[in-house]
Amino acid sequence: MKRVGVFVCHCGTNIASVVDVKGVAEAARSFPGVVYATDYQYMCSDPGQELIRKAIKEHRLDRVVVASCSPRLHEPTFRRTCASAGVNPYLFEMANIREQCAWVHAKDKEGATRKAVDLVRAAVAKVCRNVPLSPGTISITKRALVIGAGIAGMQAALDIADAGYKVVLLDREPTIGGNMVKLDKTFPTLDCSA
Amino acid sequence: MVAAAQHPNIELMTYAEVENVAGYVGNFEVTIRKKARSVDPTKCTGCGTCWEKCPTKVDSEFDLGLGKRKAIYLPFPQAVPAVPVIDREHCRQFTRGRCGVCQKVCPAKAIDYDQQDEIVTEKFGAIVVATGYELFKWEEVYGEYGYGKYPDVITGMHFERLNNASGPTGGKIVRPSDGKEPKTVVFIKCVGSRDEAKGKSYCSRACCMYTAKHAHQVLEKIPGAQAIVFYMDIRTPGKAYEEFLQRTVHEGAVYVRGRVSRVFQEGDKLIVRGEDTLLGRQVEVAADMVVLATAMVPSSGWEGVAKMLGLQTDKDDFFQEAHPKLRPVETFTAGVFLAGACQGPKDIPDTVSQASAAAVKVCQLFTQDELATDPMIATVDESICAGCAMCEKVCPYKAISMKTITERVAGKQVARRVASVNGGLCQGCGACSVACPSSAMNLKGFTNEQILAEVDAVCL
Repeated sequence: MKRVGVFVCHCGTNIASVVDVKGVAEAARSFPGVVYATDYQYMCSDPGQELIRKAIKEHRLDRVVVASCSPRLHEPTFRRTCASAGVNPYLFEMANIREQCAWVHAKDKEGATRKAVDLVRAAVAKVCRNVPLSPGTISITKRALVIGAGIAGMQAALDIADAGYKVVLLDREPTIGGNMVKLDKTFPTLDCSA
Repeated sequence: MVAAAQHPNIELMTYAEVENVAGYVGNFEVTIRKKARSVDPTKCTGCGTCWEKCPTKVDSEFDLGLGKRKAIYLPFPQAVPAVPVIDREHCRQFTRGRCGVCQKVCPAKAIDYDQQDEIVTEKFGAIVVATGYELFKWEEVYGEYGYGKYPDVITGMHFERLNNASGPTGGKIVRPSDGKEPKTVVFIKCVGSRDEAKGKSYCSRACCMYTAKHAHQVLEKIPGAQAIVFYMDIRTPGKAYEEFLQRTVHEGAVYVRGRVSRVFQEGDKLIVRGEDTLLGRQVEVAADMVVLATAMVPSSGWEGVAKMLGLQTDKDDFFQEAHPKLRPVETFTAGVFLAGACQGPKDIPDTVSQASAAAVKVCQLFTQDELATDPMIATVDESICAGCAMCEKVCPYKAISMKTITERVAGKQVARRVASVNGGLCQGCGACSVACPSSAMNLKGFTNEQILAEVDAVCL
């Protein structure tokens, strides 16, 4: 049996002023697989993350759903939280009840709350089917190619080379320099361009 | 330039073009064509005897046709490397099969008419694209400025060459038509920029400042000269830029706010007719030379670069950065970064900043010994893959290829084609799993089963 924990974030008033966050947590407790659900003011803050870690230990959670902002913002944060509490970071799902709910349905609080419940229900259904994943590794050839040897290419090549890496600076013309070497003095200091 | 040429960690490959890019971040395999210079760089001393004696003169591309070069040439005196190339389209040895002057006079025996293009494949971990810009072809659309038929209507870049001490006139500002010093020079800004009807909608960002510099140089170099600048707006948002403009204005440059409606020749003069919108009346200037501040457009050949590296372009064909504010030098292809005007018009200070930023991104990659890849990538169920290759066609990252597997069917070995995902290239976009008709392609973390479970949870 899966043991899912659901954590509903207020995001200050961003979410809580529109969505009934306590109601969402209450509803989540009845979803299949959910053994624990709660709400908190800022889930991404240090105390918020600590709350998740403690709940994972106390309730032996093996999967986590956070209902908060866009995963673009804090998915990496909560994945790290899960990992630090011994849960595979890919057994985590985020329900976006801010950008895709509270912010766009600010005038319909009841509707927004219903939608938030649906979004959490979907995330719970998904997380129950998640499997642990682990990142792969690939090797790196520490040598760079710079295509175009104008001022941009030359500067990039010099900086990379100064950092101690090998660089090939390539240009289709017979010489490096690009457009810049055609110029006379350059603004605003009127120094020479070559 | 010299610093780049002499750096022990930098290898120059000039007169070379990228032909193909395979692989992925950390492991690119790049095929490069080193074009035949017809000169052996290991022997050439750059003494210059060959181009002094070469009998064929053609227009110099470097000087935009304002000067001549030989068929064996260095684009300009300080060129790096100082090894000439033979322009085989014009060299008599190649066009007529006889001449051989350069070979005879070369004291180092470096001339090699039989040299062939050389194709090499090299491995790289990261690529910086810095392919730059060229100027908008105003001659094709601006009839009001004469479609390029007046020799004394030139671009800012021509003006730079006239002004440059190593240029065709030794740094003297003269009219291309008769070599006379112009006394009245008119500058027209926004030629091709901010002109949706004929050119580009964007601002080219460097022209306001280089025009101010040109006007300053006219006033400085030509005693008693007049510099008149027609402008739509003056944009000087850079450190010490506004002060530079004000200096030019105080030196006597006349700024007229309005567009030029027509430039035409009358005797020795170019008549510039335009509007002064601040005074609300038409103005006419009898000029000796007209300099156009033409728009920056992406360097020719951008299509090939975009295709090889899987880069996206914006509406104006500049390469698209991964995020307009937060990821300005990254692209959607991991390990490929952008620097300079290939990403959008910019001046030298901005270009240098962006180039250093791209370099940091490369170094950031290189400080790691191994790169962790996102596990949420596509995966193939080979047992049900029909080998139709639909996924290969839709993959925007060229991450899918077809491979052959053998399996035992009814006691026999049978070979079969199936899709294969390169974990280094796959960005987990999911296009393949949508395209797959047999549901063999799945995105880890977003499998069909997971997504259907989400839909069911909401709908059932």
